[in-house]
Amino acid sequence: MSAAASILDVADLWVAFPSYREATIYALKGLDLRIAPGEMIGLVGESGSGKTTLARAIMGLVPPPGVIERGQVAFAGLDLRAMDEETRRGLLGRDIAMVIPNPRAELNPVLTVGQQIANIALHHLGVGRKEAMAVALDMLRAVRIPDPERRLHAYPHELSGGMAQRVVIAIALACSPKLVISDDATSGLDVTVQAQVLDLLQSMVRQKGAATLFITRDIAITAHFCSRIGIIYDGQIVEMADTRAFFARPAHPYSIMLLAAFSHNPALRARWTRGDVAIAGQRAGAGCAFAPRCVRRQPRCLAEAPELRTLGFGHQTRCHFPVQAPA
Amino acid sequence: MQVLRYIGRRVLFVVPQLFGIILVSFFLVKLIPGDPAVMMLGPTASEQSIADLRDKLGVSKPLVVQFGRYMHDVVRGDLGTSWQTTRPVTEDLFQRFPATLELITLGLLVAIAIGFPLGVAAARRKRGAVRRFADYYGLLAGAVPDFWLALVLIFVFYTLLGWSPPPLGRIDMAVIPPPTITGSLVIDSLLAGDLRALLSALGHLLLPVLTLGVINAGPILKMTQSTMERTLNSEFIRYAETCGLPRRVVLRQAVRAALPSVLTIVSVLYGFLIGGAVLVEIVFSWGGAGQYAVQGVLNADLNPVLGFVVFSAVLSLVIYLIVDLLYFALDPRMRG
Ligand SMILES: Nc1ncnc2c1ncn2[C@@H]1O[C@H](COP(=O)(O)OP(=O)(O)OP(=O)(O)O)[C@@H](O)[C@H]1O
Ligand code: SF4
Ligand SMILES: [Mg+2]
Repeated sequence: MSAAASILDVADLWVAFPSYREATIYALKGLDLRIAPGEMIGLVGESGSGKTTLARAIMGLVPPPGVIERGQVAFAGLDLRAMDEETRRGLLGRDIAMVIPNPRAELNPVLTVGQQIANIALHHLGVGRKEAMAVALDMLRAVRIPDPERRLHAYPHELSGGMAQRVVIAIALACSPKLVISDDATSGLDVTVQAQVLDLLQSMVRQKGAATLFITRDIAITAHFCSRIGIIYDGQIVEMADTRAFFARPAHPYSIMLLAAFSHNPALRARWTRGDVAIAGQRAGAGCAFAPRCVRRQPRCLAEAPELRTLGFGHQTRCHFPVQAPA
Repeated sequence: MQVLRYIGRRVLFVVPQLFGIILVSFFLVKLIPGDPAVMMLGPTASEQSIADLRDKLGVSKPLVVQFGRYMHDVVRGDLGTSWQTTRPVTEDLFQRFPATLELITLGLLVAIAIGFPLGVAAARRKRGAVRRFADYYGLLAGAVPDFWLALVLIFVFYTLLGWSPPPLGRIDMAVIPPPTITGSLVIDSLLAGDLRALLSALGHLLLPVLTLGVINAGPILKMTQSTMERTLNSEFIRYAETCGLPRRVVLRQAVRAALPSVLTIVSVLYGFLIGGAVLVEIVFSWGGAGQYAVQGVLNADLNPVLGFVVFSAVLSLVIYLIVDLLYFALDPRMRG
């Protein structure tokens, strides 16, 4: 895949959170990620692995005191890091849209649903107030909110969680973006609503032809929705593969651990899980970041950090001793 | 509908609240040492005439009986007479309260005009000259007494520069005040179309209003700044940023979200200043309500003191009702 062909190209991205008292925390440690136009890619990793930081870094909105120390973020060939703020603001919400996890806290409590969708249209599509409201109504219909004319005038606190999530999807897709970043978008919903909202999100992005970065902690969800899967651990991609290949032949011990956690076979879970213990002799930052929890660990893992390497068919993994045969 | 029900409930509560306030302040005021009969008759009066006057005033009866009689009159709108002015307290207060209200209303408007924008600007930047200025301002405004600032302003603008009229009341002695309609000289002279009176009244308002404005901008600044800092970090503002809304739109949303807290501090200051502006009133010989009440305390003239308490209580309740209605207007979540 060439750089021109990808809609998003993140290369060697380092994000630091400096702290006065302790050592600087690196939330991203040289992360690479490419997304092709229209592609739906799942990014899976446990809490604290850097998923939200990645989403914010792409948008240039790393919360202080965080800083992007190094790396490239290119969107449709444009260098987002070199771009001036006004231009970037013009892209956000229009070409790069975000679906957020907690809409009832993140929607503005004093503006109606209609006003909030219309605001996006007003500022990004250059339409007038009346037209923007028409866009808002269309979007509410598109996300299949019942009684959209009435909901247009509802405030966020008057909506159920599922409905608020639909409103957020409406806001994200109002301008037909080229890239949608969904961060943990359905984690707050109960299972049936979650499935409905995910179906909706998938059909909407398909219809608009948007590429999607689908961030989640739940690897099972990605099996249904994504064409490619990336596994993130401690600020780095540790495995990247087409969905079929990934679920058929997961290569990284951490990926297998995540999958085993979903299996009903306790022996399998036990075989791939190991307590998180610091290892004597491993210097901080040296060797493989997953080593303390890895069941396949060998002396080389403590001395030398593995690089991301290709196993074949675009299947990449960051491990000295990847699992080659089906687990 | 919701709002009307709410107002109805609030007004119902006003009656017991007022009763409680009058009850407590009645007994507190009675604790003030000093005998009005002695004060009224002077040091040469005979024992007998003092005792007669005490009977006539009703102050020789048990406190509970006195309170009953006072309430009996209050319900009829009679707050008694001041022996100093020999006029009904209600009349005196209707003359003096507008003077105080005009002063503190304009003072708070100036305070908002200084404190609010400064607070917003300081919240937007963690470092820099504006932030440092705001920090010092908050510190100084909290430390400097208002009457002292008033004296400094008088010294500079009246004594040295001669730009402002002498600090003696609300209007030039030589200017005929406009006919009283609202009691506010500014509004009344506007209504009368009397330019001379208007200019004179504004001139006299200048320094006391500036004093109150500069001092009370401190708490407004602090409240605005801390609320804005919280809002700018809140989830919905961060979401607005990810939506790429223009900077001024995001700022407007944040300011809007900070308004209820600012409203709260302004209403608290307003309630406080009704009596709390008294030192400024004294320095400028304002003839306001606070001054009237203090004169009452000093001369064992208790009806003005109680009358002042009743007036302020009613006014505070009205203010809080208005503020609650504004909250209703500002926050759809309160409308339920
Ligand atoms: N504002 C911050 N200040 C300091 N450190 C931060 C901050 N935000 C994130 N971090 C650090 O960055 C790391 C990654 O955080 P991030 O929020 O990106 O994780 P995540 O993968 O989104 O987790 P979750 O699944 O819980 O949302 C965390 O371990 C944390 O230590
Ligand atoms: S490099 Fe070694 S420690 Fe790291 S994941 Fe692979 S086997 Fe485990
Ligand atoms: Mg997160």
